[in-house]
Amino acid sequence: MTSSTPGRVAVVNSAQTLLTSSWSDRQHIDLISEAVSRALKGTGIRLEDVDFVIDSGSDFLDGRSISNCGFLGAMGAHHKEESRVEEDGLWSLTYAANKIACGSAAVGLVVAYSKPSESDVSAFWTGLLEPFIQRPTGLDQFSAAGLYAQRYLAKAGLKADDLHDVSRRAWERAARNPFVDVDEVPDDRSFWFEDVATPLRRSDMARPVDGAVAVLVANAEVADQIAKRPVWITGQGSAIDQHFLAAREPDSLPACEAAGRTALRATGAASAKEFDIVEVSGTSTVGELMVLEALGLAEPHRGIDLYRDEGSSGINPSGGALPADVIMATGLARLHEAASRLSGRTGSPQDGLDNARTALVHGTGGFAMQNHCVVTMAAAS
Amino acid sequence: MTTIHHADPSETMESMPAQISMPYTLTPGQATGIFLAELRNRRLIGSRHGDGTILVPAQDFCGSTGEPVTNFVEVAAAGELQAFTTTARGTIGMVLIDGTSTPFVHQILQADPAALEIGTRVEAVWAVEATGTFLDLAGFRPAGNPNTFEPRESPGDLAEPLQQVDYRMTLDYQHAYGQYYGTLFDGVKNSRRIRGVRCSECRKVLLPPRSHCDVCFAPTHEWIDVKPTGTIQACSVVHIEFIGQRLTPPYIYAEIVLDGSSTRLIHMVGGDAANADKHAVEPGNRVRAVWSERRTGSLADIEHFELLPADEDPS
Amino acid sequence: MTRVAIVGTGQTVHARRRTDVSQAGLAREAAVEALADAGLTMDDIDSVVVASGPAMFGAVNQPEKWLVDALGARYKPLVRVTSGGGTGLAGALAAINQIKAGAARRVLVVAYDKLSEGQLQASISTLYDPFWGREFAVGIMGFSAAYWHARIKRLGHTEEAAAMVAVKNRHHAMANPKAHVKKEVTVEEVLASRPLCWPIKILDVPPISDGACAVILAADQDAESITSTPAWIHGMAYYCEADNAADRSMLQSEPLQIAAANVYKAAGITNPFRQFDVAEVQEPYTCFELSYYEGLGLCPAGGAAELVASGATTMGGELPVNPSGGCMGANPIGATALIRLAEAAMQVTGKAGAHQVPNASRALVQAGGGWANLRGVAVVGAEKN
Ligand SMILES: [Zn+2]
Ligand SMILES: [Zn+2]
Repeated sequence: MTSSTPGRVAVVNSAQTLLTSSWSDRQHIDLISEAVSRALKGTGIRLEDVDFVIDSGSDFLDGRSISNCGFLGAMGAHHKEESRVEEDGLWSLTYAANKIACGSAAVGLVVAYSKPSESDVSAFWTGLLEPFIQRPTGLDQFSAAGLYAQRYLAKAGLKADDLHDVSRRAWERAARNPFVDVDEVPDDRSFWFEDVATPLRRSDMARPVDGAVAVLVANAEVADQIAKRPVWITGQGSAIDQHFLAAREPDSLPACEAAGRTALRATGAASAKEFDIVEVSGTSTVGELMVLEALGLAEPHRGIDLYRDEGSSGINPSGGALPADVIMATGLARLHEAASRLSGRTGSPQDGLDNARTALVHGTGGFAMQNHCVVTMAAAS
Repeated sequence: MTTIHHADPSETMESMPAQISMPYTLTPGQATGIFLAELRNRRLIGSRHGDGTILVPAQDFCGSTGEPVTNFVEVAAAGELQAFTTTARGTIGMVLIDGTSTPFVHQILQADPAALEIGTRVEAVWAVEATGTFLDLAGFRPAGNPNTFEPRESPGDLAEPLQQVDYRMTLDYQHAYGQYYGTLFDGVKNSRRIRGVRCSECRKVLLPPRSHCDVCFAPTHEWIDVKPTGTIQACSVVHIEFIGQRLTPPYIYAEIVLDGSSTRLIHMVGGDAANADKHAVEPGNRVRAVWSERRTGSLADIEHFELLPADEDPS
Repeated sequence: MTRVAIVGTGQTVHARRRTDVSQAGLAREAAVEALADAGLTMDDIDSVVVASGPAMFGAVNQPEKWLVDALGARYKPLVRVTSGGGTGLAGALAAINQIKAGAARRVLVVAYDKLSEGQLQASISTLYDPFWGREFAVGIMGFSAAYWHARIKRLGHTEEAAAMVAVKNRHHAMANPKAHVKKEVTVEEVLASRPLCWPIKILDVPPISDGACAVILAADQDAESITSTPAWIHGMAYYCEADNAADRSMLQSEPLQIAAANVYKAAGITNPFRQFDVAEVQEPYTCFELSYYEGLGLCPAGGAAELVASGATTMGGELPVNPSGGCMGANPIGATALIRLAEAAMQVTGKAGAHQVPNASRALVQAGGGWANLRGVAVVGAEKN
């Protein structure tokens, strides 16, 4: 798995800022340049060795058109090849991996960020809807999640309270994650029981946070030279669903399934269960369950079992997206979390994952998880 | 368009409110255009695609297959509720119109959410006055009439498609000053100082200030006072008027490199000498800042830049 | 090494305002034409890349999510690349990387903008830092005019020379069936036309358009099996420059020079003026075409005015630039760069019809966006490189 065959691409380092509900005293460029400098630090790679930058951010969230234009210096992109992928950063990562795999570059930097605290997050989500039929109804990210949840819970034979298992574990793990601003699991009743979109409560919805993530990727020649334990990208897949929410499957995510299938085929894995670590992005508890089921980690409507069994500690050890949704960077944050563990860069997290060698990472984009991307990785043994 | 309201000077300089608000004239396309036009007549029009799929509201293309519309059908304004959720803004449901293939999302009105069930029969609630948007169909409510209906094929009396839906998009922001812009604009507001930062590597002074040099990516540590005088790097004369414009033309748009800095400050050149012949103001001309009465902690604290007479040029 | 070619192209008939289609329907028109040109259906397409201008142009955030339905792309990989006005070329570059890496065999690139729906200058003005000059912005027109003014002084890019670009490109557009502005002008008319941001005058400015373009890319034998006339990509790159970089004089576009140097090296170009038969460049204002001549090395710095005056870049000259009419014939911004690429492919495969440059076999493409800090270059040839 670890020989330096041409075309192989490795994550050689990655970094993220603290993810917090509001970085009120820092600008986008501050967060971005912090993540980029920390991704470069200690690698022996200088910025002039970086051939290109691919970045993810949102004009709507940033309040700027072509917002990459204003952040190029902070991304370290000056006089380099650069492209903006206006989708979760995991798609930017796949672009960068393609560029290196085909031999047109040796080292690339992937950057994703957002500061939802500066904007009206609902306007970002509802702005995704075509403006004639769906947007005027008042449909938003909360009601979309509620519509999925009602149908999902009915099929699964679950009650809203059962979803607490999902959110509780996510917040417990986030509390142990030094890069998420969660000290303890919220204990106020309103968080757990206040309806935001029946049957869902506040605890069921992903919390938007500010932050930036940077990932340094390189070809085998560079990776073998500089990384103690390079993390190889072994597969990728992505697929999008149709736009109209009501026309999609009521309680499953076939586009996520398609993305996972493509990635597994590339990796040569028979099942997502083969991976030591799985990091997924869910915009709600039910969304997270549907992702795990679409990836084949649980039977349809049985995702909840993964939260009732302490054996599945390899799923979202970081806490996942529920306590910390960086919106345009959440999938790339998942990749950073997984790659850090595979490369042994997280020290000893003491969660039984010290010997993890393989990981599957999932990112999502669009209104109510319309688009899905899956990347698989394996560390040098 | 972009209006920037400046914070009260007594407030701390944490963030600056900004709004992007613009009008749009959106085109719905043929099928949705017909659907929207027919709402005025209180009729629901669906589109038939390929294998017999019927979509309501009518669509030009079927999202499941990409098939274009083959013909239109008229459907009854009644169906059943397939899912619903209640938020602080009301109840939203998925309604499957009788005889159609996929539901659509709309508001559920005049209903006690606790009394709704999956499968509840619903009927249309029409807006009192049609305005040419989807909300001419205000939503659905539980129906008294339990009968179901069959679509009517290819109605011959369809309205012409609506060609335009007027829309305004308004996006509100609170942009953080952060440490660097905060220090700069605090100095501008309180002591009329313009400060940049020096790159630790190339030694250039950067304005606006930031943590890393755009070119070297080296950290910038040192704050440097920049002079309120400088050189026009590039300028043009704005005559055009457009919706959302913030300043009244004509004015001289200028990118100015202040003495002691190496980057562009964007502002306008005014004053009697410049206004006497705007086209005569040129790149290379020397200018100085004319401070405003305002103390807003923004570039608006500078009224404009004026041409600097040679005998007053400190350089 | 995998070699990638354009195997199909399509364009809408561009217009000032298309009231008969939505944004999604507009994009579909171009995709349908490109598929027909390649003799393929959506079932043959592995992956879709959408390119469009800033989402604020059309009030739809991430509009590719809506376009999926019209493109029949459900369950396929679909992503949008947005890099200002040059986004169509940046999208094609993303597609090429997918193919070369083996992530996809055939990729559909669709680029569009429906500029009649929004407020162009107000939208583009939000490019500016909200703290740093946004209130003075006129889209990028004030900025572009300001640096043209500097180039007039320093490089002799006179108003007359830019007017010759307007005359030339509007003349070329007369022969392009897809162009929607078909009106010849004279140098005198351009010079006398109304100043918008002086020195930019209204006849230096392209129209505001609704339009879309689509290109299908494939590699090697697959490309040759799809069409007998693949247009091979000999090189493509898209470089940037930090807007706040120190000492950025912008007299010459450094990212353009870097992109050109890299692409020329890949394509074996040492004398661009002699080696290219035709060029398609993206000129949001006439003054930019002059600047590109120098940045692309078609003439020395300060030589652009002389080059355009010589007639060499006019149809029938040694190196016709923008035989399609360029942006002056139609300017649906998000699609414009991909239109340049598609036009170049049409030229080298002999499919350009009334605006065909006879026997063209190697074409130069330039595109870009942002505030002149995102710059792409491509070389397209009839010969397999
Ligand atoms: Zn420096
Ligand atoms: Zn004038």
